[in-house]
Amino acid sequence: MSVSEALDMSVRVGGLVMRNPVGVASGAFGYGEEYESLVDIDALGALYTKAVTPEPRAGNPAPRLADTPAGMLNSIGLANPGLDSFVADKLPGLRARRCAVIVNVAGKTEGDYIRVVERLEAEDGIAGYEINVSCPNVAHGGLAFGTDPAQVERLVRAIRGAQGARSPRRPVIVKLTPNVADIASIAKAAEAGGADAVSCINTLVGMVIDVKARRTVLAMRTGGLSGPAVRPVGVACVYKASRAVSIPVIGLGGISDADDALQYLLAGAVAVQVGTALFARPETPSEILAGVRAFMEKEGVARVGDIRKMLA
Amino acid sequence: MKRIDTTVRSIRKVAEGYFELRFAWELPDNGDPVIGDPVIGDPVIGDPAIGNPAIGNPAIGNPAIGAPSIGGHVNGGHAGDDSPAPGRFVTIRAGGRYDPALRRPFAFSDYSPDAREAAIVFQLRGRGTAFLADLKPGDPLDVLGPLGKGFGSPPRSTRPVLVAGGIGIGPMLYLASALAARADAGLGEAPTLAMGFRSAAYVPGLPLPPGAVVCTDDGSYGYEGTVADYLAGYDPGLPPAFYACGPAPMMAAVGRLAAARRAPYEAAVEQWMACGVGACAGCAVPLKSGAFVRACADGPVLDGDLVDWEASL
Repeated sequence: MSVSEALDMSVRVGGLVMRNPVGVASGAFGYGEEYESLVDIDALGALYTKAVTPEPRAGNPAPRLADTPAGMLNSIGLANPGLDSFVADKLPGLRARRCAVIVNVAGKTEGDYIRVVERLEAEDGIAGYEINVSCPNVAHGGLAFGTDPAQVERLVRAIRGAQGARSPRRPVIVKLTPNVADIASIAKAAEAGGADAVSCINTLVGMVIDVKARRTVLAMRTGGLSGPAVRPVGVACVYKASRAVSIPVIGLGGISDADDALQYLLAGAVAVQVGTALFARPETPSEILAGVRAFMEKEGVARVGDIRKMLA
Repeated sequence: MKRIDTTVRSIRKVAEGYFELRFAWELPDNGDPVIGDPVIGDPVIGDPAIGNPAIGNPAIGNPAIGAPSIGGHVNGGHAGDDSPAPGRFVTIRAGGRYDPALRRPFAFSDYSPDAREAAIVFQLRGRGTAFLADLKPGDPLDVLGPLGKGFGSPPRSTRPVLVAGGIGIGPMLYLASALAARADAGLGEAPTLAMGFRSAAYVPGLPLPPGAVVCTDDGSYGYEGTVADYLAGYDPGLPPAFYACGPAPMMAAVGRLAAARRAPYEAAVEQWMACGVGACAGCAVPLKSGAFVRACADGPVLDGDLVDWEASL
């Protein structure tokens, strides 16, 4: 057996074991099918779906995208086909995946989140839930939940209460926003509410103005900043959150190569997600996984989960 | 679609701020483009099997952007195959490793199966296109494609009327040559191409099809006035089928002409893109129905009558 095969790349989040720490972030990867010919989806650790809301959402007015230094702004507005269509049209394809399929859940009200989770509890082929309390691009829900520790705790508790008798219970991962003064307090609130993990960061609120036209590039004026530009913010948030809670932290924000991913793992993350970098290079996740393996071999680290103990 | 590390064959300035970039283009399963017969009833766009579930509003219904009367695609061009058909596009990395983070989308302006070479025409607009304009023959080029849905074949016994505005010239030149080749083979009527530019300085030094009409706003070249002004007095001799790519006001004007003549109208839209493959819903194009479609996967060729040209384009 080679050294490489002896490496333990698996990641445990609640009762779920992901086979490796590299996932694709919600919103960047649709429901998987769109990237079928470009990415070896089965080789991913996890696929985080585009957000699912109870009702279909057409999304925000166009333009929804802006180019920024080493990044981009988006204001998609949680465009998605809704819960019924997700179950009927998207879930069958997702069930066939060998990677962990984590459904990103969003809503305007607590009841919306509950409705999505209750319905999905009756469906097979889902490995867990990522609770989106951090979308900056919708008027209701999203950030309104994610910036208030009391609301985060209450929402997570309600979602936990809505889970059925599945065994093992599907992990509830709470996706946190960096648009707060103290991300540690939000992470603690999620943990107190019964979250199995937190993921951070969602996008940062940003704006780009076309000076010549004297108007904002985005129709909604502001959007969420992602890409390499936000990576140092994400690494710091993971560092702070992972020291505030005992549940696992999943890191994302500007990860575009193995070195970026290792920064997150060293900062305290157990796993990572790749988002914006997929747009530039769809092969980024597999390159990252290979790079993390190479790091472990070189440094003599047997388990990927041990990387976070290595920060000086 | 594939992501390909290829090389620049040539880059040249063809007009004020306009460049033609030619690059090696060979896909393992590419083959020569097949010029097919019109397939009447083949849904050109909005095929529910490929569909628009990501951003369509099922409450409104899958936005019926199909135009079954237009028939099959010119040179193929169904999303998912690897034919570089007119109206389809590629995205190109335009800078450092991840800065810019977003690839830039460009429609094919030409494809030569013999030379295994494809081309785009682009306008210098920002840092991405500035990067491309500085490329030299032999430079590496990161190309993802072919993407999206291309133009459909014109209905029988119609005159394909191709309309280009500014940098919209790229896909229309390619479509014009594909339709002319079809006509030469007895598979349809010869197309006409009308192009509008601000002034003579913007008229590209590219091979233009015979009979192509150039309009300039200031009259410094060809017809003085907008391309829509010209078309208002143009007699195609047969019922027209409109094809257009250009700025929103021009696209709206062509829509009014098409509606007045009860003619089909295939419109190639332009929008910022992130993924380019239909996953992110960033490149939303507003429809008059209030729904959105994705320029990358539902388009970029859409039924021009359904697009809300006033909103955000």
